[in-house]
Amino acid sequence: MPSVKIVNGQQIVVEALDPAQRFSRFLAKPFLQMRYNREIVLAILRRELRSRFVGSAGGWLWAVAAPLFAISVYTFAFTTKLQMSFVGEQGQKPIAYALFIFAGLVVFNFFSEMAYRSPMLLHEYAHFIKQTIFPSDMLAVISTLRAAAFTAIGVVVLLICVGVVTGGLHWTVVFVPLVFLPLMAFLMGLAWFLCAIGAFTRDAGYLMINVVPLFMFMTPVFFTHTAMPPPWDILLYANALTSYVEVMRDIVLIGKLPNPLVVLWMLATSIFTFYFGYWFFDRYRNVIVDVI
Amino acid sequence: MSLSTSSEVVVRTRHLGKAYQLYAHRSDWLKQVMFGWYKTYYKPFWVLRDVDLDVYRGDSVGILGRNGCGKSTLLQVICGMTLPSNGELRVTGRIAPVLALGATFDAELSGRENILIGGAVMGLTRAEVLRKFDSMAKFAGIGDYMEQPMKHYSMGMRTRLAFAICAHVDAEILVVDEALAVGDAAFQRKCLDWIDSFRRKGTLLFVSHSPAEVRRLCNRAIWIEDGRIRAQGEPSVVIRAYHRALAMEKDDVHRFSVSE
Repeated sequence: MPSVKIVNGQQIVVEALDPAQRFSRFLAKPFLQMRYNREIVLAILRRELRSRFVGSAGGWLWAVAAPLFAISVYTFAFTTKLQMSFVGEQGQKPIAYALFIFAGLVVFNFFSEMAYRSPMLLHEYAHFIKQTIFPSDMLAVISTLRAAAFTAIGVVVLLICVGVVTGGLHWTVVFVPLVFLPLMAFLMGLAWFLCAIGAFTRDAGYLMINVVPLFMFMTPVFFTHTAMPPPWDILLYANALTSYVEVMRDIVLIGKLPNPLVVLWMLATSIFTFYFGYWFFDRYRNVIVDVI
Repeated sequence: MSLSTSSEVVVRTRHLGKAYQLYAHRSDWLKQVMFGWYKTYYKPFWVLRDVDLDVYRGDSVGILGRNGCGKSTLLQVICGMTLPSNGELRVTGRIAPVLALGATFDAELSGRENILIGGAVMGLTRAEVLRKFDSMAKFAGIGDYMEQPMKHYSMGMRTRLAFAICAHVDAEILVVDEALAVGDAAFQRKCLDWIDSFRRKGTLLFVSHSPAEVRRLCNRAIWIEDGRIRAQGEPSVVIRAYHRALAMEKDDVHRFSVSE
């Protein structure tokens, strides 16, 4: 029988934990919560995925058509004089540039969708949070999974295009899921942080609308990190997205193993953001209910 | 405070209080978040004060009070949606809140899809919802509308569907907040009958403005005024006192302002 005891606004947990136990509890908590709430997460995820295309005749075709359309537009752009001088090495086919940009955009669009939506996320589900017993921390998980589903379609389209254009895939594409997971964890942490801030103030949403387009040029979507002269390319890596874009291109387009330092940096930012975001959200979740 | 029947208490509150934080300026919350450890930037608005309540297993408690007296907040606190600011709260058992019927409904989706989400929010697994689906549809009695988008529903149909979901959650404590006001008489009777049968195995907390419902369903009544319990006991006694007070006091327009 579940029993809850709350004294003076603090939930009383009747167990004494030493620091090590408390730390492992902290590490496990987001995953235990996801496991515990899996039914509700799946139900709402199913609804969100479906409602994105409810009322459209094309349905899921749109999810596949959008990336294909993007790739063809880039290809067209780079076969004509629109080609920008600093893009990539000379002597490559226009479609190679298109795929190069698309590989960066797949990662970046995942980020931008999360960054735009997260500040409004709790407002969108205010009814759920205020009037039902609802695990509000799962909203960030749901929106990450939703965006991940569309990103996954983009990645598959990318892989097919690479396969068709170059006549085969590099063996390194088996690591794609291993890039995807840290990226999801990174963005989930970001979503927890942004939606907690966004619950208090609408400014977070407006800030994102202004900041995300800038990030597009601080992330090597249209160029590589070599576009920056050596001492400054470190600055690019301060933007955590850079490492995801680079690793994604290395394993999908070039077919080489990425620089271990970059991978290490990617994992470190991912794990840190994930736990920082959850910690931040968890800290303010009880206040959020009253301000939303 | 240990009663001989303490193992039977499913909801216990001691000096329970809830204050919302009222800010004079929009930006004050930010100062509160950053410098809250140093100075308080909000004015506390107490909606609940010193609530001592014991609800025993099998009890059905009717809660009376005027709008804004803190009834709904009390239920929200007991359900765990919002934390109390001070005092002690202990809840034992699975709670099903029926605070706002259809809070989870999406107008674009059909009744069937909304049942799947509503059931999940109430803590049912997908398999359980699918198993109980026919029974829910029968309880709601909205026929072919089940497959239509919810935007074509009338208010009454939404209520029917929402209550049908609630009626199929296996809860030990049911918390109902003025939920039945919308349905037609026949459906209200059906809901009351269902609550009546629930009462035999579970515990009920019931907010209503209808004295007849409270008399019929509850073995205890609580009258809340200005966030405090003003009277509790035998439903007929409490209802009489409440109605006498309502007749005496005018509807005060300044009731919701913060007292200095």
